[in-house]
Amino acid sequence: MHDLVRPTLSAPIPSIGVRIEGARLTYGGVRLFDGLDFALEGGRCTCLLGPSGVGKTTLLRLIAGLADPEPPTKLIAEDGGPLEGRVAYMAQQDLLLPWLGALDNVLLGPRLRGEAIGAAVVDRARGLLDAVGLGDRLRARPSELSGGMRQRVALARTLMEDRPIVLMDEPFSALDAITRLRLQEMAARLLAGKTVLLVTHDPLEALRIGHRIHVMAGQPAEIGPAISPEGTPPRPPDDPALLARQAELLRRLAS
Amino acid sequence: MRPLIRNEWFVRVAAPLLVGALVLAVWQLACQTYEVPAYLFPTPTDIAAKLASDLPGLLGALWSTLKVTFMAFAIAVIAGTALAFLFTQSRIIEFSLLPYAVILQVTPIAAVAPLIIILVKDTTAALTICAAVIAIFPIISNTTIGLKSVDPSLANYFRMNKAGRLQTLVRLRIPSALPFFLAGLRISSGLALIGAVVAEFVAGTGGRSAGLAYEILQSSFQLDIPRMFAALFLITATGVILFLAMAGLSNLLLGHWHESALKVEQ
Repeated sequence: MHDLVRPTLSAPIPSIGVRIEGARLTYGGVRLFDGLDFALEGGRCTCLLGPSGVGKTTLLRLIAGLADPEPPTKLIAEDGGPLEGRVAYMAQQDLLLPWLGALDNVLLGPRLRGEAIGAAVVDRARGLLDAVGLGDRLRARPSELSGGMRQRVALARTLMEDRPIVLMDEPFSALDAITRLRLQEMAARLLAGKTVLLVTHDPLEALRIGHRIHVMAGQPAEIGPAISPEGTPPRPPDDPALLARQAELLRRLAS
Repeated sequence: MRPLIRNEWFVRVAAPLLVGALVLAVWQLACQTYEVPAYLFPTPTDIAAKLASDLPGLLGALWSTLKVTFMAFAIAVIAGTALAFLFTQSRIIEFSLLPYAVILQVTPIAAVAPLIIILVKDTTAALTICAAVIAIFPIISNTTIGLKSVDPSLANYFRMNKAGRLQTLVRLRIPSALPFFLAGLRISSGLALIGAVVAEFVAGTGGRSAGLAYEILQSSFQLDIPRMFAALFLITATGVILFLAMAGLSNLLLGHWHESALKVEQ
């Protein structure tokens, strides 16, 4: 069944790198970061770890266009085009509309942008829900679904946007351990080839699905050098090399 | 067999009915044992007999009360919702009008009713205005709060998708406001009835006859106490039916998604 979705997902969307230069942001009188440089490699998954309140979410919102950048912040897509309209966003809360069924929630994005909802679009949405294992719950409203299922609908909706850049803010942190592992695998598989920024506080999650992992810390915050674990994501959670890396990451986070 | 107390139907339907029947039985027995005269405190059977014999007259009065109640309720819903939309569109409109809505709300309707009844010639129109004045406030305040209490992250999602004002209103704000609006509807329907009855009392003391309240007033002058009770019964029944209708509407519209209407798993 996944083959239904594959062609549309791996369609030749050119991967776009993103660079942030000299980012500055003040929130409630506190300078969260100043002169911050950061890059997302095109077509790769970059993970950002760090303590709560350090400004990870704010940085993500900055890229998403949800926060106004202070000068001299520069946001650059490496192909020279605008970022606007090419970014999809997935949050810790599923952000589903409680009065809509799963399928209608997935179709919400195109509807809001005023696109025509033809049979092809509906088929694609169905295919995506199928790919996240919810092909039989198309009419189910969020209240009828478990937390993990809701987040899977949200993942399907994010994929429905078919944007080259995907920003994810702790998308799996509210889930139980097993559901989280499954969803990480699913996300890594379905998001392959896109430029992804995943904000998380779970080092293991970063190590499983990130191509590059950064730690953000300090005030004003700075982003440390990248860790690039071996192998292709999703990496198995019981890989000893991964566990050694996890210890290293935890040390960096604690310091 | 499961104990009766755990049976949902028993708890929700049979138990309150049983209490009602018990109260009526004690009432009937007490009145008969102590031979309380009907002009002081009639028995339930006296009231039922009166209700049956005077039904045509009482139904006419009920109809005029209902007319006022429904017209006032409709005006309150339409005008209240329109005002709430205006309030959420612009802060300047909200801040310049809200104080007057509050003044309207806090002024006792019984104190204003004589004025309205003097000023407005047509009795039904005057009564409708009185009832609408008190029924409108819960609609305004609830709908305004509802339209404003949109989940900020959902609003962000709409912004990211470049949803226009109208799209956001139709697909996000109005559904988000629905539970609040329906709660307002429930309060307002009761207030419309209370407003109608209060206005009828005021009009009735001024000699302009209309509705069930006037029937109560007349019956008290004539010491026809069973008829007073019968009219009172009709008013209460109307209120209960209105409440149930609003609860049903709320269930119909929210039953599938809102926390307030979902059945909680035990």
